[in-house]
Amino acid sequence: MARTQGAVLRSNRIRRSFGLRAFTTFNYVFLVLFALITFYPFWYILIASFNMGRDFARGGVYLFPRAFTLDNYKKAFENKQIVDAFLISVGRTSLGVVLGLFFTSLMSYGIHIRTLPGRTGIVLYFFITTIVSGGMIPYFLLLRALGLTKSFWIYVWPSIFSFYNMILVRTYFDGIPPELRESARIDGAGEWRTLLQIYLPTSVPVLATIALFIGVGHWNDWFTGAYYVTNQKIMPAATLLQKILLEASSQQSIKPGQESSIYVQAVSTTPQSMQMAFVMILTMPIVVVYPFLQKYYVKGVMVGSVKG
Amino acid sequence: MTRQAAQNIPHVRRNPLRVRIVRHSAIYFMLLPAAVWFAVFCYQPMYGVLLAFKDYKFNMGILRSPWVGLKYFNQFLFAAEFWNVIRNTLVISVLKLACSFPAPIILALLLNEVQNMRFKRVVQTVSYLPHFVSWVVVYSLLTIVFTPYGGLVNSLRTQVFGLEAMYYMGEKQYFYPMAVLSDIWKGVGWGTIVYLSAITSVSPELYEAAIVDGAGRLRCAWHITLPGIRPTIAILFILATGGILNANTDQVLLMQQPANMAISQIVDTYVLKIGIREGRFGYATAIGLFKSVFSAALMFMANAISKRVGEISIW
Repeated sequence: MARTQGAVLRSNRIRRSFGLRAFTTFNYVFLVLFALITFYPFWYILIASFNMGRDFARGGVYLFPRAFTLDNYKKAFENKQIVDAFLISVGRTSLGVVLGLFFTSLMSYGIHIRTLPGRTGIVLYFFITTIVSGGMIPYFLLLRALGLTKSFWIYVWPSIFSFYNMILVRTYFDGIPPELRESARIDGAGEWRTLLQIYLPTSVPVLATIALFIGVGHWNDWFTGAYYVTNQKIMPAATLLQKILLEASSQQSIKPGQESSIYVQAVSTTPQSMQMAFVMILTMPIVVVYPFLQKYYVKGVMVGSVKG
Repeated sequence: MTRQAAQNIPHVRRNPLRVRIVRHSAIYFMLLPAAVWFAVFCYQPMYGVLLAFKDYKFNMGILRSPWVGLKYFNQFLFAAEFWNVIRNTLVISVLKLACSFPAPIILALLLNEVQNMRFKRVVQTVSYLPHFVSWVVVYSLLTIVFTPYGGLVNSLRTQVFGLEAMYYMGEKQYFYPMAVLSDIWKGVGWGTIVYLSAITSVSPELYEAAIVDGAGRLRCAWHITLPGIRPTIAILFILATGGILNANTDQVLLMQQPANMAISQIVDTYVLKIGIREGRFGYATAIGLFKSVFSAALMFMANAISKRVGEISIW
């Protein structure tokens, strides 16, 4: 459709005035600048993480690493606290995605069956929770009463369902011809087999989309670890980064390279350069995954916005 | 909905309710985990809101703790921090509504004028990246780019403009600008998705007619595209009004420092401080409830106004 509009405009060559050319130039320049401002901070941290810490602190490294090294990453991976935190993050993300996909599919499959007696009431029961909520404190007390604040499962069970993801999957299921389910039933497949062998294989795009949403949510969540969890041993990487930043901001008077912390033994790395490696390890998985799913999640966002 | 379903599956016979329920027992079983989960993680905390009217004693539970009526609401309304917290929340939200809200609309209009599809795609892909990274990562980028010790921005200040290095993340006067700018940076690209899809549904005939009448590209954008996506803008604006007391807890918690606490303490961070850090559960729940009720009222109001003025409503 956008193309149609473009074609209409292009066919009208008479109006290619000076003003239009000026605008087009401005537009392209502006968008290039915008893309640079968006992308460059990531690039800056990337080259910093591959540069020797002390050398970087001297300034002047903008485009490529000046004193290339892998030390920052080595030091990060030698640090037990960091490795443990990443293991927690990887664990909760993979478990969260697998269980989230499974349970969301179950729920969406059930909801999308239009002949289900009481369906409207059931949908309403789920929908109300998107408007009304108990707030943070009753929620925290619930987690505590369930014993989750000390357990790894706090990262998994409380975020297994999401009404929004359910809508995305259900909308996709609605698009599957009902004859498919009918014929499967006639061939003797039960609901479970229909879901697992017919629905799920045809729904890969939407499942990939919500897998991305769920996975990113788990990978990025620092709040649960910082405010709800009382057990230091199960701190995920995002929360650890927040703790490191908090410490750094409370010692803001110390210049990099002059600090008296444990990091000083390392000659070329500074806490700052190690932190950059850390930030990169947190960012990389996302950068690698998200462009490939673009086609799907863009559609997903549109569905979500139409359905409210 | 039911009629549609009957058309889709023509041979559905209307059996007695009991038979139909039994036939769907597998489906009910599939919905059972969700039903239990929503009861535990959504409905139980709703019941927990009773805490706002109770003097919570851990050993007595919510039900048997003594009632205190509206004590906590009074306490909050007359607390020294009350106006401060409300003002900070409103300032941050209104700044964001004024800056972060229109930004994706403008970006979408500009992207829509791009005729080189490859260029457009690359810009779009790049623009989605900040949405997917955590606020912690965004905050790290901010501290590294803006640090006074050899950070990018300060190097520019000192070496190119010969100015003093500035501690952007710590100085109070930079808190609001940094909060709003980083909010735009993180969300603007993602925000364009909805508007770009709304733009594609504007009828091409309108453009043809306008061009015949001698309108240029800019006039088309102003007189056709923008009015065409007005319903989308209105709906997102109503939803944003409902979130005006939210002001993004994630971001504000990270950017809070002792130096800017006087202007950065918002309702949600205050609730966390009172409730989780200080353990005054009843009081914190009451503040949370106050916020929810107020937010809902705001959203209804915005919706009513929008309905009357532009005949657009989310209900």
